[in-house]
Amino acid sequence: MKIYYQISIAVLLALLSTLTRADKNILNIYSWGNYLPSEIIAQFTKETSIKINLSEYDNNETMYAKLKASEHTGYDLVIPSSYYVDRMSKQGMLQPLDKNKLTNLHNINPMLLNKEFDPKNNYSIPYLWGTTGIIINTKYINKITSWQNFWDSQYEDQLMMLNDMRDVFGSALMTLGYSINDTNPEHIKAAYLKLKQLLPNVKIFNIDTVPNIYIDEDAIIGMAWSGDCKMAQDENQQLQYIYPKEGFTIWIDSFAILKTATNLENAYKFINFMLRPEIAKQASLIIGHSPTNQTAIKLMPLKLQLNPVFNPDAKTMQRGKIQLDIPEKERHIYEKYWEKLKIGG
Amino acid sequence: MNTFSKYFYTICVYIFLYLPIAVVIVFSFNNASHSLVWQGFTVKWYTALFHDNVLLRVAGHSFLLGILAATSATAIGTLAAVSLFRYRFFGKKILNALIFILILSPEIVMAISLLLLYSFLNIPLGFWTLLLAHITLCIPFVTVTVYARATTLDTDIFEAAMDLGATDFTIFRKIIVPLLAPAITSGWLLSFTLSLDDVIISYFVTGPTFDILPLKIYSMVRLGIKPEVNALCTLLLAFTLLVVMISYQSIYKKKD
Amino acid sequence: MKKQSSSFKIFSLSTVWLWLCVFALIPIILTLTTSFLTPDSNSIVKLIPTISNYLELFNPGYLRILLQSLYLATSCTLVCLFIGYPFAFIIARSQHQHKSLLLLLVIIPFWTSSLIRTYAIMAILKAKGILNTVLLAAGIIHDPLQILYSNTAILIGCVYDLLPFMILPLYANIEKLNQEYLEAARDLGANWFTTFFKIVIPLTIPGIIAGSVLVFLPAMTMFYVPVLLGGAKNLLIGNLIEHQFLTANNWPLGTAISVVITLLMGIFIIIYWRHSKEDDRESLT
Repeated sequence: MKIYYQISIAVLLALLSTLTRADKNILNIYSWGNYLPSEIIAQFTKETSIKINLSEYDNNETMYAKLKASEHTGYDLVIPSSYYVDRMSKQGMLQPLDKNKLTNLHNINPMLLNKEFDPKNNYSIPYLWGTTGIIINTKYINKITSWQNFWDSQYEDQLMMLNDMRDVFGSALMTLGYSINDTNPEHIKAAYLKLKQLLPNVKIFNIDTVPNIYIDEDAIIGMAWSGDCKMAQDENQQLQYIYPKEGFTIWIDSFAILKTATNLENAYKFINFMLRPEIAKQASLIIGHSPTNQTAIKLMPLKLQLNPVFNPDAKTMQRGKIQLDIPEKERHIYEKYWEKLKIGG
Repeated sequence: MNTFSKYFYTICVYIFLYLPIAVVIVFSFNNASHSLVWQGFTVKWYTALFHDNVLLRVAGHSFLLGILAATSATAIGTLAAVSLFRYRFFGKKILNALIFILILSPEIVMAISLLLLYSFLNIPLGFWTLLLAHITLCIPFVTVTVYARATTLDTDIFEAAMDLGATDFTIFRKIIVPLLAPAITSGWLLSFTLSLDDVIISYFVTGPTFDILPLKIYSMVRLGIKPEVNALCTLLLAFTLLVVMISYQSIYKKKD
Repeated sequence: MKKQSSSFKIFSLSTVWLWLCVFALIPIILTLTTSFLTPDSNSIVKLIPTISNYLELFNPGYLRILLQSLYLATSCTLVCLFIGYPFAFIIARSQHQHKSLLLLLVIIPFWTSSLIRTYAIMAILKAKGILNTVLLAAGIIHDPLQILYSNTAILIGCVYDLLPFMILPLYANIEKLNQEYLEAARDLGANWFTTFFKIVIPLTIPGIIAGSVLVFLPAMTMFYVPVLLGGAKNLLIGNLIEHQFLTANNWPLGTAISVVITLLMGIFIIIYWRHSKEDDRESLT
């Protein structure tokens, strides 16, 4: 019995020792789950002796809620999507960037810089990006070309729609010829009414492990992010990604430094490290989403460079639109309608 | 009810409880990154797991947190249950209400209000904020379980003990606790379970320096839960079963 | 003459009070206060008192959500009770040497992440999942059952998640059931049925209530089971509150919903408790 107690105490002490002690040279990163592969973090620590504490979130909303609730979260670096960079910078949550410290910035694809959500990139440096389009299982469905096809009655209870208000409203707004960042209440209402008609066709609203749903044929048609589609295609060759003719959303996830950050220098070092083509390429290959680093793309296998899902050409890109933040009053209108849709109409 | 139907029923319930676990174990050997359909046998997720010391360290954190939180919550919760049962005191109804509200509070409400509290008190987020939150989360579950059993106690014993000169503390230690032992143990187990798996409250009140397993898993969902997690869960399960069997054997032998 | 305040009593009460005041009472007051404030995009809340959050709740859509959540929570509690009570009874009353081990085995699966277990349930219930594969192979069905992404799947998920919270309190209560009562009843000629319903159940009411409370209340505010297993098509209260905090950034409304639900549940539980206490007293006289 005594031995049993001794063993328990030993195990407890071993567990206690896993508590990290406060290190001097650290960087606290708050990131999307799986967005910073451990090999890359290990390499950064090896080169710079900076220890990284990584905390993760699974969507922008929870990240924003936590940062809003407390100024003492302790995080230095965060990775918001485009319209959250827009909102957070306007609310003074982000640090203006000193771009002189980012010597590798020239590697970024200029098509993804100086966008409306952060002109001159004063607050954010693009990391990974993609598009939101249509995915179909060609075993069951012939080629379709537009968002409007979702409304066909033959797809009753078949669709998977992303569980994201902006993405879903975006698709409806585009079929009506409006912008995905539309702030006209009449237009938003029209989109809501259109989506109400779509509800019978929707089988699932989902935003987690999307590839899985299409690979296992839980849904044979729906929305998906380009990177998810490419991952799904690796395991099910019958899936196809389509850039709808009405247009599509371009999303960009960027590095940003919080106003309350305490390890500024280390944050800059990290961003600059991630801007290295070799590193960006490695990250993108592990994670599955497209890199914003154009030098990195040139280092990738030719098959990927030519893949229109992973690396769309400039002509396709012209039909895409980046999400901007919606002003508060109009955002409430979107939210109320989204709630109504989710209640069942 | 004859013996056969008793066995049959119990085994059916166990099958229901363990079927998803069996699935997790089987899929830890599945040769697919995203699919939930069997694609072939492999042990590559286990080898990947051993190279990924983040997952292992984070699992250790969770266990440590769970043990500490469950033990503290059981202590405080038992005191609360016994006090509610034995004593009359000012604000007894308020205490009852507090316990009830804690169980009912949606986790996200508790999470954000605790975060606001910590922010107001200027406490940096980390291990301690997480521990305090978990203990608070678990206390009402212990209290309800222990109280349910306490109400069945015969108060005459206490009267007799007091007449014989025992202090309250002695009565607590030598009479109440042994009589309530199954409920206290149930309370500990419930608390440990709650703590090990808590996501929402942990998400909001933990800091950069202390990460726990459920958060890690939860944040992976967007990009796809790595199959290594299935391997980790299988190993943790095996480890837990082993510890439980060994400790049970030693306690059981002592009884003889 | 009994001592009114022993040192142990003071110690117990002060520890419990101190803890709950700091970590429960204050956050609850914060929650209550927030529900009376106005939402603001920049600083979460503006210090302008208002009852408009509560007025917003008088909305037929929200009523539908409440009813759906009540339905799920009640179904879940009843199913857990029907599955859990016999199980707890059999184990608690058995003469088996290792019965506490059996109880422990109930809990151990729940030390696996519930998210992973939910994904496992998805793997079992999906169209190409294990259940369908087995049933199709055995020829029992000809088309795959579409259980996943339905209300049935949500119920299965909820029951699965909350079953131990019913079994453990029940076990703790049944375990101390005095064997003599049962023997006396049998001696007086009662059959098994009468014994069970007239003696066992009334005596185990505290356990039933404890288990039901520990299942019903969390079931009311479950939120990722409906999302993962139900296809996120129909908001339940838990999702609605989460929506207010995260997507709509409307914390006052979120807290207002939370306060109202707590009050409703409180009234419900008090009525149930009063009612069962009366039954208790009647059956024992």
